[in-house]
Amino acid sequence: MFRTAYPRVVGVAARVLGSRDEAEDVAQEVFLTFGRSSVPAGEATGWLSVAAAHTALNHLRTGRRRASREEAAGDADAVSPDVADAVVTLDERRRVRAALARLPRRQAVALVLRHSGLSYAEVAAALDLSPGSVGTIVRRAEHSLRKELNRHAPSD
Amino acid sequence: MRHPTDGTLRRLLDEPAGVADTDREHIASCPTCRSALAAAREDAALVGAALNVQVTADVEAGWRRLSGAATVDEPRRTAAATSVPRWRAALRSPVIAVVGVVALLTGASAAAAADWLQIFRAEQIAPVTAPEADLVQIPELSAFGDLKIIEEIDVRRVAGVAAAEKASGLSVPRVRDLPRGVIGEPTYFVGDRASAVFTFSAEKTAQTVAAAGQPAQPPPPGLDGSQFRLTAGPGIAAVWSEGRPVPAMVVARAVAPTAYSTGVPFATARDYLLSLGVVPGNVAAQLRSFSGDGTTLPLFMAAEEMTSSTADVNGVSATVLASKDGVMAAVVWVDDGVVTGVAGSLSADEVLAVARGLRWSR
Repeated sequence: MFRTAYPRVVGVAARVLGSRDEAEDVAQEVFLTFGRSSVPAGEATGWLSVAAAHTALNHLRTGRRRASREEAAGDADAVSPDVADAVVTLDERRRVRAALARLPRRQAVALVLRHSGLSYAEVAAALDLSPGSVGTIVRRAEHSLRKELNRHAPSD
Repeated sequence: MRHPTDGTLRRLLDEPAGVADTDREHIASCPTCRSALAAAREDAALVGAALNVQVTADVEAGWRRLSGAATVDEPRRTAAATSVPRWRAALRSPVIAVVGVVALLTGASAAAAADWLQIFRAEQIAPVTAPEADLVQIPELSAFGDLKIIEEIDVRRVAGVAAAEKASGLSVPRVRDLPRGVIGEPTYFVGDRASAVFTFSAEKTAQTVAAAGQPAQPPPPGLDGSQFRLTAGPGIAAVWSEGRPVPAMVVARAVAPTAYSTGVPFATARDYLLSLGVVPGNVAAQLRSFSGDGTTLPLFMAAEEMTSSTADVNGVSATVLASKDGVMAAVVWVDDGVVTGVAGSLSADEVLAVARGLRWSR
């Protein structure tokens, strides 16, 4: 179970935090909590993904960031060959995290889960939503995030 | 036919098979929908790129670390591994330090308000200590209704004492004797008043309770749809960071958080929320023991990282917090509706000495 779920949990947390090291810390926290909980096995993956998103967003919100790690991990991420990544500079990454932290929590979680590769049905099940409303929530989140990113563009 | 919703358009981008044929046909022939679809696609691509992080998780290392943590008393180990760099990193930037202290004071309120319903005027502070794993389980306020920020927390640097006093309306305390190692003149920061309105929703609460696997409970009469106004600040902070990468000391004051309700008493809302079973039991028990008139500000802290005690600061009872690794200490108290705190990479005795020696013109 751990072996299949761990990469996904780290992936979800990394999308929120933008750093692998912090994401792995969050994954540890999530699995420890999971170990003490009585979540049914069938719901484990969804539970872990939601918990990863919440815990990572809590880290953002409470400012429990490790500035030095962010720098280090940010550099590592920046050399990723992905074209999209080259566009998103480190500074933009910081703005993304800030904007994400300002979104209503449910929108942020749905957005992160969707962009971490969960299907609409999986997001719906994990958040107790109808699959139809997942699209609405994700759309709303993307719209506000885009507005936030434009508003806080460096030209300001 | 009616236009499909934005949500349907969004799903079409990811999972066309999940969208009904009739909707797809409509969108294909409708210029309005096609343009909305293009906008959705653009936003999705931008956000996707912004969130995209290439991560290869090291499953083996993760497993070893977790196994180690699970066999040795787990919360203790996590705390030992993370608390030192966390505090150091948090204190590295003066702004973050101020935000941290403001979060500890006004805003421990904002943090607390984001996690917890308070219908009260803070007259005293009491620590709520629990394992970190329990604290992260405390649901967001948004799990019980809608939180609308009216005035955002906005902390900025000001030129000096006079500017800080003018901008905040608070008198700035003077420190009589600086502790050893704290040198130079402080930098002053001001935060305006922050406020938010929370609207309780029985429906959202029911969803939260169901998601937590707890039995549903009807809210007390009048709670559904009732509004609570939460305010904190303005506040000021003086930060000493000369000659050090980490601020050596922060002295801060802020107008204590207050919450107004549209008629539901503090105890009613508190007892109902605590009865839902979504707050970990040990946290709920501590919150339940607070006075029913809503005058105690809970200060959430992780049991693994911090210890708390009480002390007297010139006749007022204060809460002293110290990190278990000895890296930092803080003392906070409420007097006449104003929260004051002294924190730094100092010992508990040092922050208390500074607190007792503060002078200001009333």
